[in-house]
Amino acid sequence: MLRFLSRPVTTRTRSAYRWFDERTGSTELLHKGLYEAVPEKGGWAYTLGSATLVLILLQLFTGIFLLLVYTPSFSDAFPGLDYLRRSDRFGSWVRGMHLWGAYVLIFVIGLHMLRTFLSASYKRPRELNWVTGALLFFLVLGLAITGAMLPMDQAGYWTLVVVTNIPHYIPFIGDGVRHLWRGGDFVGQASLTRTFAIHIWVLPFLLFAFIGAHLYLLRRHGEFGSWVNYEVTGADPDKELAERIVRAEPPYPTRRIERMWAVPRRTVDFFPDQLFKDTVISVLLIAVIFVFGYLVGAPLSEKADPATLSYVPTPEWFYLPLDQVLVLSPQTYLVFVGAFALVGAGALAFILLPFLDRSRDRAPLRRPEVLLPGLFLAAMLVLLTVLGASRLYSL
Amino acid sequence: MNAPSFLPPLASTVSPQPIPTNLFGNSSAVAVIALLHIQIATFITGSSFLLVVSESISMARNDERHERLAHTLVKGMAYVFGFGSALAILWVTWILLGMWGTFFVALGRITFWAFIFEAGLFVTEIVLLYALYANWERLRAYRRVRLGLAVLLAVALWWQQFMIDVVASYMLTPNGGDTNQLAQILNPTNLPLTVHRTVGNIAWAGAILAGMAGIRYLRARRRGAGAASETAFWDWAGVWGAVWAIGATLMQPWIGYSYAKDIQLHAYPSWYRMMFGDLSNVFLMQITLLGLIFILGTVYFWRRMRASETRGRRTQVLMLVVLVLATLLAATPARFASTYAEAAAADQLKPWWDGGLLNPIGTMIPNKIIALLAMMICGLVSVTSLLRAHSRGELHWGDATRGAQWLLVALTLTVSSMMIVMGVIREHSRQPFLVNGEMTIQGQKVVDPPPTNGVSPGSAP
Repeated sequence: MLRFLSRPVTTRTRSAYRWFDERTGSTELLHKGLYEAVPEKGGWAYTLGSATLVLILLQLFTGIFLLLVYTPSFSDAFPGLDYLRRSDRFGSWVRGMHLWGAYVLIFVIGLHMLRTFLSASYKRPRELNWVTGALLFFLVLGLAITGAMLPMDQAGYWTLVVVTNIPHYIPFIGDGVRHLWRGGDFVGQASLTRTFAIHIWVLPFLLFAFIGAHLYLLRRHGEFGSWVNYEVTGADPDKELAERIVRAEPPYPTRRIERMWAVPRRTVDFFPDQLFKDTVISVLLIAVIFVFGYLVGAPLSEKADPATLSYVPTPEWFYLPLDQVLVLSPQTYLVFVGAFALVGAGALAFILLPFLDRSRDRAPLRRPEVLLPGLFLAAMLVLLTVLGASRLYSL
Repeated sequence: MNAPSFLPPLASTVSPQPIPTNLFGNSSAVAVIALLHIQIATFITGSSFLLVVSESISMARNDERHERLAHTLVKGMAYVFGFGSALAILWVTWILLGMWGTFFVALGRITFWAFIFEAGLFVTEIVLLYALYANWERLRAYRRVRLGLAVLLAVALWWQQFMIDVVASYMLTPNGGDTNQLAQILNPTNLPLTVHRTVGNIAWAGAILAGMAGIRYLRARRRGAGAASETAFWDWAGVWGAVWAIGATLMQPWIGYSYAKDIQLHAYPSWYRMMFGDLSNVFLMQITLLGLIFILGTVYFWRRMRASETRGRRTQVLMLVVLVLATLLAATPARFASTYAEAAAADQLKPWWDGGLLNPIGTMIPNKIIALLAMMICGLVSVTSLLRAHSRGELHWGDATRGAQWLLVALTLTVSSMMIVMGVIREHSRQPFLVNGEMTIQGQKVVDPPPTNGVSPGSAP
């Protein structure tokens, strides 16, 4: 020990690292993490995935901070957050970051899925990347809506009332599901406790499990990127493809159309090229969240009043399309059709997209059977959001 | 922000009461000139969007067809812009100021800033459109500049539409006569109307393009074998226009329904008149025309695919059958089925699975929603099926039959008719008011309570 301590600092550090590396394989792990080939074109678009991960981690950290002051109780939840608003500027800022982080996360993950959809990156062998990504998207939406219920201000309370009532419209089992979530026929302490547990344990557990699976699959198959990286440019396409296929990793494609998409024409290293872009975008997004979290913060209305007759609950912006569908569905079985059948079928089709899209091409304009319904749905989501916003915020 | 104080002289220069002529004549004059002006203005607004799309594709893919189409659109817009502007000026000076002076002066004072922006954008559009029209070939070497001008033109036209939507929607839902600028802009039906018109204008421009392409195709075919490239171009342009016409209309049932919902919430008497009152039959005509648009589009796509013997054309036939049924369901008069009131009176106001009357054959609104959803889904499948055949390279340009071109012309006329019917419904739904709840048609008088905030339309001398 004395001999170790008597050596120069650099030698001691190197030696300590060697000891650590011998036992953990950290250098090999670092190499595997940093030296991955990424398609050359479209690098800025690929940053959305890593930005999503960074934003989820930010939500985790800010959420842990909030747990230090939040009590999941009908009587104590609101005062804790009200204390932050009135007396703890830093705590209020962290709460603002948690809210704006959620907004930016939903926006970025939506863009990430749109990019993946347009470039058909979900095709063989990356079908499960898409499935796990789509499930992650829904988990994030679930986290966002359960989080909105927790403050126990008017907005949070009535969101809890409205959202836990939605399962009621499912025929046969609806009332049972509502009873299970609420812990009774009406919203009460059990409803808040269960929603809190869903928000901080159930959904995050699933979220990080799927993130692990998503990252594993990403490293196994590599980044597909975009179709522009795979076009054959030479006079002899067969020779060019044969030269490229040498660099392919398992599973080896067998059909010609797949050989074409197996290996990109040119690649760059993840480190430093792609990592630099990822860092720039992530830092920018975090800066936006910091600024909005500080300047705008997170709203907190009056303390929840279950007896009020005048409060009109308004959903978060990312639920406006669903809210608009509910508003437009007459109070009959069509609520079930609008809220569950249509939305459920759309969500299922979204998750199972790689198995529904059997087109061989990857350029978006060459697969209109997928592009057109996708753009139609995207346009409807935007339009319903605008129309919902108009209904809620018009004077 | 209220109307500026330097305006009063304007009020003294116009007739405070209607010119002594019959109300029917005045209303008819408004209807004819306004509807004609609207058809031209909406075509120009929608075409500017198609212009930007075609010019962008032409630049990105070096596509000569799109460049020619973009040039054709610019020429078409420039030709009708002058006539449309003359109609607008005629409408404002002769009809609105001359026949409906009190109303227009009052409205002009309330929505002063909207009209000012409108006028400014009008001048901007003249500059941009004629710069594009006169310098199209010169700007070939500066494609980005040309695209930039087209984008600016589209933006200016959209804002002009937004400004007139502020005025039109304010007349229907005037927020209890609140003349504050923000209240005007955020009146409950402004955004739904703007979304409805934005999408509708694109569909209308697509329909005009399709109809024009159909006629040009027929003329080129008449010239014989020497016009092969012409027939190929106009055949392609017809398909392109029809895809935009049907593709944009796909979203309209839901948007229109949202718009109607806002009218129901904020101008109930108008909504009631449209859905259950004396305008309900006209509304049925409108819904029939909507179904007809989808039907004509699907028949056209089917015939176009059949002419090139593409795969998947049987899908079009299946969609056609569903669309006909959906149109019949959507156009069912309300008296054919029980209403909510009747269901409630029979103590059957329960879902069908509980033995109630709230089922697909029991009440009307669910039926209509199902019909509209069917139209949207079938229309989407129809357009997708055609584009899929195109992406497989199975459509051969110039193969189209004459009958298919007449379908395109019929599609244009149907969309035009639907716009007229919609205009009639919207204007009549407010009656007897010009500004809903504030000013009547008969006397152009203000009813109690008058608009506040220092603006009193009734105070005009």
